[in-house]
Amino acid sequence: MTTDDVIRIEGLVKEFGPLRALDGLDLEVRAGEVHGFLGPNGAGKSTTIRVLLGLVRADAGAVRVLGGDPWVDAPRLHARMAYLPGDVSLWPGLTGGQCLDVLAAARGGLVESRRAELLERFALDPTQRARDYSKGNRQKVSLVAALAADADLLVLDEPTSGLDPLMEQTFQEVVRERRAEGATVLLSSHVLGEVEALADRVSIIRRGRLVTTGTLADLRRHTRTVVHAVTATEPAAVTDLAGVDDLEVERRAAGGVDLRFTVDADHLDATVGRLHAARIQTLTVRPPSLDSLFLRRYPEETPAPAGGAA
Amino acid sequence: MTGLGAALGIQWRTRRRLAGLWLVALVGSLWATATSVAGLYDSPAKVATYSGAVATDALVAINGRVAGIDTLGGIVQDEFAFVAAVLLPLCGIALVAGSTRREEESGRLEQLLAGRMDRRAPLVASLLGVLAVVALVVAGGVGALVSSGLPVAGSLLYVAALGGLMLLFAALAAVLGQVVLHARGVYAGSLAVLGLAYVVRGVGDVEGWWLAWLSPLTWVERAEPFAGQRWWVLAVPLAGAALLAGAAVVLAGRRDLGSARWRAGAGPGRAGALLRHPVGLALVVHRGSLAGWLTGAVVLAAVMGSLAQEVVAAIEGNPALSGYLAISGGDPADGFLAVVVLFLTVVAVGYVVQAVGTLRREETEGRLEPQLAGTTSRWRWLGAQLVVVGGGLVAVLGASSLVLGLTTARSTGEESYLWSLPAAGLAFVPAVLVVLGAALALFGVAPRAYPLAWVVVGLVAFVALLGTGLQLPGWVLDLSPTTHVGTPPDGAVARPALLVLTLVAAALAGTGFAGFRRRLVPRG
Repeated sequence: MTTDDVIRIEGLVKEFGPLRALDGLDLEVRAGEVHGFLGPNGAGKSTTIRVLLGLVRADAGAVRVLGGDPWVDAPRLHARMAYLPGDVSLWPGLTGGQCLDVLAAARGGLVESRRAELLERFALDPTQRARDYSKGNRQKVSLVAALAADADLLVLDEPTSGLDPLMEQTFQEVVRERRAEGATVLLSSHVLGEVEALADRVSIIRRGRLVTTGTLADLRRHTRTVVHAVTATEPAAVTDLAGVDDLEVERRAAGGVDLRFTVDADHLDATVGRLHAARIQTLTVRPPSLDSLFLRRYPEETPAPAGGAA
Repeated sequence: MTGLGAALGIQWRTRRRLAGLWLVALVGSLWATATSVAGLYDSPAKVATYSGAVATDALVAINGRVAGIDTLGGIVQDEFAFVAAVLLPLCGIALVAGSTRREEESGRLEQLLAGRMDRRAPLVASLLGVLAVVALVVAGGVGALVSSGLPVAGSLLYVAALGGLMLLFAALAAVLGQVVLHARGVYAGSLAVLGLAYVVRGVGDVEGWWLAWLSPLTWVERAEPFAGQRWWVLAVPLAGAALLAGAAVVLAGRRDLGSARWRAGAGPGRAGALLRHPVGLALVVHRGSLAGWLTGAVVLAAVMGSLAQEVVAAIEGNPALSGYLAISGGDPADGFLAVVVLFLTVVAVGYVVQAVGTLRREETEGRLEPQLAGTTSRWRWLGAQLVVVGGGLVAVLGASSLVLGLTTARSTGEESYLWSLPAAGLAFVPAVLVVLGAALALFGVAPRAYPLAWVVVGLVAFVALLGTGLQLPGWVLDLSPTTHVGTPPDGAVARPALLVLTLVAAALAGTGFAGFRRRLVPRG
């Protein structure tokens, strides 16, 4: 645990009646990083975020945000934070630009030059009424409000829901710029590609507890690389190799052997050596994606009972 | 308090139009009442007849026991008492519920509280907003009364007492907003308290019990603005409001966002056959509000029916009262009951406009689109709503006038009321259908202008509640469809008019259906 943690949660518990939404959660976000916050529906991501914002009080555990207690110091801490909620709701009678300024007024202002620049980059017309916006455009209003703020910590809950791929690209650029300027970002998302593209470190939670945390490289070390190779001859004793799994071998009519398998990081070198000895004709090696990481984490455990709140 | 300025700014931007409408409605109705009364009772002799006419238990139960009834101010207070007892608390409740729990429900509050804003600031801003509206109502109200020739001190005390009433209910709504999950729960709880306060005030005033002091509505009377002028009574609602507001602010500072003391438990995992049918779904959407309006109408009918005998006795003892009730010759009881049936019609009109407004909510909140995306055609969907709302209005008028018939027959011993009063109530169905048609036409053709439908409700209520007493000109009375029905059970029902009203209603509804078929859905 380092002193420059922007967010530090230890043993956080939150109960809603009989439902234990957070069950001893730990989370650590370091200054200047983009931290991916992942978990299936109902894992407790939104509740965690609400605790971090002081919107919901923790039942037990220690929570520090920017060196303060979010429940006690909420307004003071919020001056240094910007938040994008998972469900964006605007005032239907106001224009997008007015909503933006109302949100900014509540936050304590935003950077005017950034406001103009982001409206431009997200191609958002601020003169339309909020009720006339599409879901994507409503999302953009809140996104601009959060990203144009002069904040040290950005808390973004499902930031790109409703955005088109082009706008997702723009969003990623802007987040990288904000990180380069020194901001810390907590990014809760289901779009794993986005987390993969942006996050320095990732925490995966499930049923109110931390399952795993670390850099993507760390996490990948525990997962398997997918290999597809065609060799001239059948490699010696591939099947016997430790660390190789899901093996499929097929002899091609045109000659050569088609091999598909997965292998863990520790045995990759030895396995590729065997393939090389059998004379490689084509070779595709796919690193473990976050998807496979994420998907592998969950079926291992028993399914959660239905009815949990997000 | 951090962020209070920002919260006030948001209030100003998002709520000022609604607050302005309330302000105009409150001051306007007070002004209309005062000028009409001043015009009607322009000599001391006429003023004296009034006090004799209204000193009956029935009217005391409805309007209260007004001190200084032998002055112009007292008459204004008495005439305005019923409207004031409904409108002022409702205004306070609506302003607070709309800017606190409603904002929390919608998720907008979450975004605001994530800013540099104390979690109590939105509530405090909302209460300060109400305080500002009260101040303007007091200023405007005093101006309206003084311009009609009422004394300044009395006018100030009267309107200030009304302002205290509004503040008290605003503060009550603020507390309820902290402990129930939905804005509609805030309305239901506050209006239940208001109903109770009305009954306690009525019973207390008639029986002369100390019990009446328990009702905030009594406090306005006990201030005696046009008689003894007890200024200290103002402290009672103000202290109550301050206490409730303080409790609400403390609760707001301590609780989780989105939390509530009371919330619904688990429900069934499957929808039954009824719910899967458009009419069944419409029933579910409308049942809560229908139950509320139905209860209100039935209670009103039961209270009025039980008082019928008192009124008959009073009128026989004092013929001037029939002039006050604008009863034309006939049987005094019938005249009184005709007015009651008109009241019940106003309730039905309110139900109809609120129910069609629910359809707008379905649309703007994104629930209409998926309902129309399947095999249900637009006409079938709107038809299902029409069936349910139309059935609801017949239920409101039918059930309440039946209860009126039962209670009146019991209190007067005249069995004929069992038939004549339900018939009288149902005779107003075509008039209410006209309002339903107008609401559907707005919904179908100009959905964004839907709030205008409430202007129709206001007009019908104004004509029904104050029109005859204030002797408004004929063309104003004719604007309300209820005027054309006649005055059953006192006078005959104008049967040809019922046919015309039904045709007008059908034409309006047809316009609504045609418009709804063609227009953009959803129109935000």
